[in-house]
Parts: sequence; C-alpha cells; structure tokens
Amino acid sequence: MMPGPVGRAVRGGLTRKRVQTIAIGLVLLVSTAASVLALALLVDSNAPFNKAFTAQHGADLVVTFDRSKATSSQLAATKRLPGVTAASGPFDEVTASGTTSASSGSIPIPTLTLAGRASPGGPVDDVVLQSGHWADGPGQLVLDTQLTNNLPPIPLGTKITIDGGGGDSKHVAELTLVGTAASVTGSSGGWVTPGEIAKLTGAHVPAGTQMLYRFSHASDASAIAADVRTLAAALPAGAIAGSQSWLSADLAETGNIKAFVPFLIAFGAIGLVMSVLIVTNVVSGAVVAGYRRIGVLKSIGFAPSQIVSAYTGQAAVPAVIGCIGGVVLGDVLARPVLSKAATVYGVGSLQVPTWVDVVVPVAMCLLVGIAAVLPALRAGRLSAVQAIATGRAPATGRGYAAHRLFGRLALPRPVTIGLAAPFARPARTALTLTAILLGATVVTFAVGLSSSLRLVVDALERSKAVPVQVMLGQGGPGGPHIKIKPGGVAGPRSGGRQPSNAAAKRAVEAALRAQPGTLHYTEATDLAVTVAGLSQEVDVSAFRGNASWTGYAMISGHWYTGPDQAVVASHFLTVTGKSIGDEVTIVAGGKPIRVRIVGEVFATRNTGLFMITDWKTVAGALSGTGSRLAIEGPTQFDVGLKPGVSATSYGNSLQAKLGGNYFVLVNNRSSDVVDLMISLIGTLTVLLIIVAGLGVLNTIVLHTRERVHDLGVFKAVGMTPRQTVTMVVCWVAGTGLVASVIAVPLGIALHGYVLPAMARSVDLGLPASFLNVYHAGELALLGLTGIAIAVAGALLPASWAAAIGTGAALHAE
Amino acid sequence: MDALVEIENLTKRYNGSGHPALDGVSLRIAAGEAAAIMGPSGSGKSTLLNLIAGLDRPTSGTVTVAGRQVDAMSETGTARFRRDQVGMIFQFFNLLDDLTVADNVLLPAQLAGMSRSAARARVDELLATLRISQHKNAYPARLSGGERQRVAIARALVNRPMLLLADEPTGALDTATGEEIGRLLLDLNASGLTLILVTHNPELAASYADRLIQLSDGRIASDSAVQVRR
Repeated sequence: MMPGPVGRAVRGGLTRKRVQTIAIGLVLLVSTAASVLALALLVDSNAPFNKAFTAQHGADLVVTFDRSKATSSQLAATKRLPGVTAASGPFDEVTASGTTSASSGSIPIPTLTLAGRASPGGPVDDVVLQSGHWADGPGQLVLDTQLTNNLPPIPLGTKITIDGGGGDSKHVAELTLVGTAASVTGSSGGWVTPGEIAKLTGAHVPAGTQMLYRFSHASDASAIAADVRTLAAALPAGAIAGSQSWLSADLAETGNIKAFVPFLIAFGAIGLVMSVLIVTNVVSGAVVAGYRRIGVLKSIGFAPSQIVSAYTGQAAVPAVIGCIGGVVLGDVLARPVLSKAATVYGVGSLQVPTWVDVVVPVAMCLLVGIAAVLPALRAGRLSAVQAIATGRAPATGRGYAAHRLFGRLALPRPVTIGLAAPFARPARTALTLTAILLGATVVTFAVGLSSSLRLVVDALERSKAVPVQVMLGQGGPGGPHIKIKPGGVAGPRSGGRQPSNAAAKRAVEAALRAQPGTLHYTEATDLAVTVAGLSQEVDVSAFRGNASWTGYAMISGHWYTGPDQAVVASHFLTVTGKSIGDEVTIVAGGKPIRVRIVGEVFATRNTGLFMITDWKTVAGALSGTGSRLAIEGPTQFDVGLKPGVSATSYGNSLQAKLGGNYFVLVNNRSSDVVDLMISLIGTLTVLLIIVAGLGVLNTIVLHTRERVHDLGVFKAVGMTPRQTVTMVVCWVAGTGLVASVIAVPLGIALHGYVLPAMARSVDLGLPASFLNVYHAGELALLGLTGIAIAVAGALLPASWAAAIGTGAALHAE
Repeated sequence: MDALVEIENLTKRYNGSGHPALDGVSLRIAAGEAAAIMGPSGSGKSTLLNLIAGLDRPTSGTVTVAGRQVDAMSETGTARFRRDQVGMIFQFFNLLDDLTVADNVLLPAQLAGMSRSAARARVDELLATLRISQHKNAYPARLSGGERQRVAIARALVNRPMLLLADEPTGALDTATGEEIGRLLLDLNASGLTLILVTHNPELAASYADRLIQLSDGRIASDSAVQVRR
C-alpha cells in the first residue's frame, strides 16, 4: 500500500481524469495484445518443427517391416537395441493408392499409408488431434491434416470407400471420417483401429508393420543410416521394407516458414515502434497535462519524490490493468492464428510461449514507467509556481503565425482555428503524426500485400485459368483406391479393368468436346526426370498443343514455342546455375534430352524443381522400345471454361458422363499459407489502426483539457456544438492529411521491399505484375487513410468537448 | 417600455439538496434599460447572468429574452442566441491569446457567417470607435487591462446585439481605467443598448445604471431605481 498522501493523490488523479485513465488502459491493452501476437508468431516461426518435434516426441525413424519376414517378438525386441531411446508399435499398416481430384461428387486422394493405432499417444510420435475424435470403433477413419489440407474440404462424417484392389471386392471397406490429426513426422496418412487393417489386407494385399523409433544419435543422414543398419542387423534379411526419417519432414516445412519471416518482421517492427510512440505520448502527455496539479501538490507540501511516486502510480494503475488485459486478448487472438500456423507448418500445435506472456507486459510497464518518471522528475524539480504556470497553457508565441496564416484561408473559421492548433504543441503533434503515419503506412502496405498474395495463389493454383481438371486412372491391379463421397453416400467401387491410356484419352476428349461450357482444353503428362548434378528428381509437365493459357505466371523470358524448349521454375535456375537461353540435359526414361530454357515461371511444385515443355520434347523418351517408362498418353486434362459457366456444375456433369474410371477435379484450391498470411495481415492491421486511433484520441483529450477555458470562450461568443466538433476534429485532420500524403508512397515502398524479400527467402522469382498491384482509384482511397484514422480517433473526444458546459469551461483554469 | 428580459420564478441548484444559488427570482428588464445586479459573494449574481445568457440551465423557472425562451433552447440554439442577440463582457476579458485583436473581435461575426468584407469593415469601425485601432494586429498579452476590456467590448458588439451582459467588467481594472470602461458602457446604453451589469461596486452601479437590483442568498432583496446617475 502506498503512503497515505501519495495514495490519495493517485486515487484522486485516477478518478478525476477518468478519460485519461481509460485512454492509458486502452492503449496498453491494444499495444500489448498486438505485441504478444506478433512476438508469438515470430518466436513460433523460429524452428517450429524442432520445438514441435521435441514436444510431440517425434519419431527419428519410421520403419515399415515385411510381416512375412519378421515376427512380432523380433520386432518388439528392437525396442531394446543399443541406441534406441524410445519406440512405439508395432502398428499394422497398409498402403492405399489413388489420384487427387475434387468435385462435389467423388474426391480421390493420393497414395497414403493407413496405420492401425488404438490411441494417438505413445512414447514416440504423439499425434495431435485437430478435429473430431480418434478412431475408437470399427468403420472409423482419422486422416492426417497434411493430407486433408491439400484436398477440397471433407467434412467429418463423410463416408469413405477403400477399395482393396486386387480385382475383387473382398477388401473393400466403407469407413466414416471421424477426425483429423497431425503427426509431426508424418508417420501415416491416416489411422484406423488395429482390427480395420485386417479387413483391408489379405493374400493379394499383404499388410506391413510400422514401428516408430527415437535414437540417441539421429542428427543427420549418416547417423540415421547407421541406425537403420543397427535395426537391419537385428532382424532377418529383407525384414525392413522401407523407412522415412525426420529429415524429410523438416525439409518440407522449412520453405513455408521462411516466407513468413520478412512480413512478420515488417509488421512486428511497425507494431512495436507504434506501441512505444503511443504509450510514450499518452503517458508523458498525461503527466505534462497535470503540471498545474503538481504545482498545487507541491505548494501544499509534496516532496519531489512523492510527486514522482504519485504520477508514476497514476500511470501505472491503468497500465498494469491494460497490460494484463492485453496479454489475455493477445492470447485469444493468437489462438486461431497459431492453430492455422501449426497446420501450415505441419507441427500439430503451437501456443504462445509463456515467456512472451511475461516479457511483453513487463516491457510495456517499464516503458510506461520511464514515460511517466521523466516528466514527473522534471515537474518535481520545478518550483510550485513554475509548475502551475507551465501547466496552464502552451508557451506564448507557439502557433501564432499558423493562426494568422490559416485565418486568411477562405474556409469556415472553426476549420482554420482547428488546423492551426497543432502548431502550438510541435512535439506532441510530431508524435501524433508519426503514429498516424505508421498506421496509414501499414494500411497501404497491407492492401498491396494482400492483393499480391491473392495473385500468388491464383498463379500457384491456377484455378481461374484451369477451373476443371480431369485425371486419368493408373490402370491395372494395385492397392486400394479411395473415393470420398460427401453426404454420406458411398461411391461406386472402382475395382475391375481400367481402360488403356489411349482409349481413356479418346473418351475424355469426346466428353469434353460434347460438354457445353468447354472453352479449350489441353492434355498434360507428368513425369519425373533427372538432371546432372541434382540429387532430387525434377518434375516435368509435358503439354500437347497450346498450353500458354493454363495460368502459369511468367517471370521472365517467354512461353515455349515448340519442342526442345522449356520454361522452368526459379529454384531450378538457382540450383542448376542456368539462365534464360541456356541449354540443359534432362534424362527421361533413361534417354538424355537437350532442352533450351526460354522462360522462368512462378511455380513452387516439387520445391521449385519443375519444368514445363511440349509433349514432343519427351515423346521419344516415353514411348517405344528401350524406355523404362510405359506412359502412352496424358495423365490429366486441363480444361478452360467459357465465361459464366459454373465449374462445379460443369464438373458434376462431366463426372457423371465419364464414370468412375476418371476423376474430375474442380480446381477451387486455395493456399493455407497465403490464407494464413492474409488473415494475419488483416488482424495486425486492424490492431495497429486501433493503436493509432487511440493515440489520436489521447492527443485530443489532452488538447481539450489544456484548452478547456478557450472552449468556453468559443462557446460563449456563439460557437455551436457542431462548429465545436468541426474545430476539434480539425485539430488532427491536418496532421492526418500530411500523414496520408507520406504514408502512401511509404507503404508502396515497404510493399516493394517486403514482398520480394518473402519470395527470395523461398528462392522464388516474382512476376512484375505481382508488385504492380496498386490502382489509381485504390491509391486515391488510400490517400485518405491518415485522415480517416485522425477523424475516427477525434470524433468521440470532439463530442465530449462540444458537450462541456460553457459556464464550467469559462471558470476552468 | 416593453420588457426585453423576463425572468419568472427562476431557481438554480448546483447540487441536488444544497442551498439554491438562485431561489425563485422573478424580474423584468425593459429594452434600453441599464440594470445593475449587486450582492455579496455567493448571492447569485453571476449565476443570474449566466442563465440570462444561456450559458447554464435553470433548475426551474423560465428566462425569456426578446420573446424567446432561452431555457428551452438546445445548445445550438443558445449558441446562436448569444452570437446574434447578446454581447458578453467578463471580468478577466476572456480573450483568446493566440488570436490577434482583430481576429478576436472578428470571431463572433465569422461564426455567424458574416461575409469577410463586411466583418472586417465592422471590426475596423468598432476598433476606431473604441480607440484601439493601433492595436489591431497585436496580441492580447501585450495590451493593458483597459485595452483588453475594450477589445472584449468590441467583440461583444460586432454582431450588433440587443442586450449587453457585463460580469464585473471593471473588477480587474484600476479605478481610472474602470471609470473609462464605465463611461463607455454608459454611452452604449445611451445609444439604445440594454445593459445588465453585475458588480459588487456600489459606486459603479450608481454611476452607470438606472436600476439597482440587490441579491442576497439567491433572492431579490431590493429592486429600486437609481436616483441620480453621474
């Protein structure tokens, strides 16, 4: 408890200056919340995989064993091998196959592993449930979110048909999707109860067994290889069918995360600077506005130390309350954002680190303390008379020239008086200008960045250019296919003989030509090739006919104009060291092919190791004798629609005509990464605008307190309430206009810096069109942002000023 | 003479249950009259003036000026009323320090929407009449008390009001200057302007008013004509 007189002074200050107290509390609330959110994202974006891996006991190694070569007891014994620190399993598993497409009908999904696990937890690979519940009975399925994020939305309760393949119907099961979950090491594409695996396997479809291990040494590829050898030596030959280490999962997530960092830094830096400015302005302004009261307190015997304590306490009380509320608000805002980030990062779950919840409010309170102590110390050193005199009005002479200048303008008198007012308090005006400027800059930046990111999504997913795709079946006996029927109706079984590729192509072409709404289509064959010097294969899409309309955004060069030419993604150029115009040798089907690179496209497929070319470039390698590949025709058709045609209706109709051997995908995919970024942009922008608006509100409140007597004079000589509001709003409108003028080019420059930085972080080039996103009309509106922030922040205190009693104001000192 | 100001049973309490600042005051002031309201500190003089000017609202009773009920007006209405019908002069002048003398005087005219040329001409006329033209571009802080009060009078007259309310107009001035201001008010009243003057100075009241209203504890203690004005 504070000493009596100081405590009473604090209590009196808090209750008498309620608006100021509330303003301090609100500013701290919003600033703290914004700082918690931004810092949590920055921290969680720093090696989230490593943190999640530790928290969820990720598996260093996921090993699939051949059940016919190793017994259960032999597998169980591997848990006690030297170097094994923990193990889970054995879990029976089966591999399913299919292809990805989307429509409101069947939705096939790509090859995945289904594992039979009774529970998501365990000593290794704690699977984190994201929705619904774990499979706890027959006929239930849980899918991994890394799989579902790349498919159209599949609601819980959807019936899923798993076809056992093998040409018969004995291994067909209809399961219900009961939940989604995330495994940090991607141990499985989905989970069922252990008994369900037995139904899906048999003589033609043997089951495998999965075990998950953590080792004392597994930090790099060579250590992992040694661990695999240890396991192999302890088991009969051929027992290990395959393995996957944590290294491949880590690599897949790093790219997504890197793209976030530049934009988070930009927002975080602006947010922190704004918070510091506004808090400083609000708190120090509150103390300076109380100089007269400080003089009175000194005149009745308060010592300088008591003055400092009183005014620091007066700022600290609302600040602490605001900080605590800000931490709660920041955590609430962060929860959905971090949940989505966890999905994007593939790490199961992310939380606000505890130390962020402690450090941010402590730092804010320290800032408040400094902002309050410095002017309070100054006031404490003044004599009582000086403090009273200092607190009465701004220094004589300030702003007089501005009043003369603005008074000459042919504008209503309340406007000109208001526009001249900021010049009486230049330091406070500069702080307010900076806060509005930063808020308006963020808006310009956010608008441009959102527009650019939508172009990124359009270019990556190509959903506008190619709203429908038709996937051809792989043909032949194989593993189970999966078809998903939303609405609970199981789809037809797809077992049985598949048509040959040539026949399939003819059937699809005939259907497309006959389908109303078809504008154009092209056939694409996807294959993997090798390039000398690259350890990873390069994905190639080979198109038949004109494919320049298929929505790939050109960064440089031009689309290929004939065979033996190709366009490539940016990362391909980086890793091969090639440039536009260079030739590169690709090996397809064992045959080398020389290709000239004529263009660079915006694409992230296969982490940017991606090439697009004419079918004739690779045709010789893909057919005929001597080829190790047997692809005779296209793997998919990209379809463009006439304007006004509904892709969903078109897709449903086409699927019905083609039947179950073909999969019609309605391409309405979005990007989770971009969706997350855009939602973050929106959240952070709104928070920062509120902080700027609160700064304006505080400025007006302080100004009103200082000029309350003048307000009384204005009203006494006939200023109406509307004229008073106009005058008060104009106190900051001019500042807002100046901020607007500067903010637009500043925001555009920030956009021009951050977006390329984001692209560079993931080794992506950018088409110029992704940067040239600001239109004249948009810029004109953005040019009003600063004024809008200023006016919005001023309206409420302006109405309070208009409502002040004239008599009371005249008698105020 | 017709009553310009009519006050009926006017009461004002500043807190719910305390002693009223004004307690059932009724009076009529004719057009062209010069009335001085006197009384000790806390008698309700300034409260009465504020209620006539519409700067405050009564707890009960009515105030009518030139046939318009002031206590029933909105805030916008009372602002326009003060701008167009009433000129106010205060003890401590209430000038705006960051406006020049001319801008201070211009202010009510500009708020009323008077044209720039007409307003400037009116200001020049008033400054000349009040013999302060030389201070047109000066700031109030540089003027003497008497000069500031002249500026305040000019501001009060710029919109040609029918009623001039003066709250202790000489209270912050020395004797000689106070007499100058008093004669000025007398001249204005002689030209037809109705004057209500609040003062605690009996000599001022006797010199410049023709009616003396004494307030005591919020009530009219006496209301008499001044026998002889100096």
